[in-house]
Amino acid sequence: MSTLLNISGLSWKVLNKTILQDINFTVNKGEVIGIIGPNGAGKTSLLRCIINQANILTSANISGSVHLKNRLITQFSAKEIAQHFALVMQKNDSIFALSVQDVMKMGLLPHKSLFSLDSDYDKSQIELALSKVGLSHALESLFNQLSGGEQQRVLIARALVQASQILILDEPTNHLDVYYQHQVLQLVNKLNITVIMTVHDLNLASLYCQRLLLLDKGQLICDGPPKEVLAPEQLSKIFGLPCQQNFDAITGATQVSFYLEENCMQYSAISEPLSE
Amino acid sequence: MNKVSTSLFALAILVILSALAAITFGPADIDSSQLMACLVGSCQNQIANIIIWQVRIPRVLVALVAGMGLAIAGAILQNTTRNPLADPYLFGIVSGAGLGATIANISLADNLTIALPLAAFLGALFSVVIVVFIAKVLQRMEQLLLAGVAVSFMLASITQFILYFGEPFATNRVIFWLMGSLARVEMSNFYVIASILLIAMITVFALHRQIDALLLGDESAASLGVDVDKLRLLMLGICAALTATIVAYCGGIGFVGLMIPHIVRQLIGVTTLKLIIGSALIGAIFLIWVDVIARSSLPHAEIPIGIITSALGSIFFLFIMYRSRAIT
Repeated sequence: MSTLLNISGLSWKVLNKTILQDINFTVNKGEVIGIIGPNGAGKTSLLRCIINQANILTSANISGSVHLKNRLITQFSAKEIAQHFALVMQKNDSIFALSVQDVMKMGLLPHKSLFSLDSDYDKSQIELALSKVGLSHALESLFNQLSGGEQQRVLIARALVQASQILILDEPTNHLDVYYQHQVLQLVNKLNITVIMTVHDLNLASLYCQRLLLLDKGQLICDGPPKEVLAPEQLSKIFGLPCQQNFDAITGATQVSFYLEENCMQYSAISEPLSE
Repeated sequence: MNKVSTSLFALAILVILSALAAITFGPADIDSSQLMACLVGSCQNQIANIIIWQVRIPRVLVALVAGMGLAIAGAILQNTTRNPLADPYLFGIVSGAGLGATIANISLADNLTIALPLAAFLGALFSVVIVVFIAKVLQRMEQLLLAGVAVSFMLASITQFILYFGEPFATNRVIFWLMGSLARVEMSNFYVIASILLIAMITVFALHRQIDALLLGDESAASLGVDVDKLRLLMLGICAALTATIVAYCGGIGFVGLMIPHIVRQLIGVTTLKLIIGSALIGAIFLIWVDVIARSSLPHAEIPIGIITSALGSIFFLFIMYRSRAIT
């Protein structure tokens, strides 16, 4: 596997508050990586540094480096970064009535020069990407009138039109119901491109990511396959709740469940008479 | 040709027909055959020839480019700020122009033909510079509109203060100028407005994909390689120059930049290329006909064009609000 990204000694401090501290990891081509951790752990901040959003890496309070294909990311222009990374965010709304086609055409931007119009090839790429996410029929539909899951799929299709090598997703399953959570992550998994995403739901992350990065208070606590990263003692310490690891009977994936001590006692108090 | 291209082509034909028809309206009776004869250079009536070439054609052409300019300035601002209520007038441009015109009127007794539009232009640019400066200091480009409203009120109050203590004749002149009129425009005004309009159109055509990318949010646009703040500042500068030039020659013509893009979005589309071309064409048709109403509805007087655009604009907005209530 060839290394695409190399993050080395990345630290970020704002007014004595540590956002990220000495983060080191590499990303290989074709990997699907999930970044997990509690709220405020630095998951989204790490994504912002990886894509050097708003030239964040040139800021004085950030140290360390991000290399893309052995070249410092700060040496890439914004357009070049957009040719390598496609970003899908949590929520995208437009006040204007954009069609799905209008949204898809945005993905062409990093590869287009000034004054350029759409070619027949562009149109075929848009149709192909929409067919990959199962939304061929929605080309003329209004983006704002699609369901949350469909909107996410359109944005993933836009990322495919962008033809970048690394797909970055920030909480792609937020605001989605269970069906769409699985549908979107399954789709991401089948694209056969490198994916880095932040995920809140640890069990979904385990099911769909080959590798997990566990962050806490800006530090990379663990980097490895789900079974290793989702160690109950580790998670208990970070999330502050007792945790149990088990394996899904159908998929075989590592799953974790958290519980409150008091809830267990309540449960046993209710269940005891029943068991008699 | 698809539906959008057909609509735009039909609108372009309508612009040409409107402009030709508008030349025949006015106090002097000039029919279409006379017009055609004068346009191809075989005019028998010298007076008609002078009226057509020196009065009506400059006026219709200025109405055409002013309508285009105001409409596309509104369209650009609305798309770059993602705010359907954004309008060049909300950036204090008219208030700034009003202040410039007031100072020129009060301090200069003569030579107002050049000084008035020049002072108005400088005043308009001054207001935009303040608005951008405030937004930069606040480091929140999305607060441009709020800064614009504040600057607009500030400059209007200074203007009113000067006018209150000013000479009544000069005050009248400023107030009439602010109501907007195409009565005194010349062919040279057309060339100036058309040049800036051309620069604006070329810039927008070059950057149409970047402006479109803003429609799904700044973060989304930045991830596609767009320098959001720079793009927004460039577009604001272009809109300011365009509106300031139009206001300087034609006075205050409100609501065009707000109303026309709204219609175009319903009829043609929301992305920048469709919106800009559609707004330019419908804006031209609108202002040509509003100017016809302004100069032909009263027998011996003209109605200031700004009064008509504001009246039509407010009725239009009430209609839109009523319709959206019926839908929801």
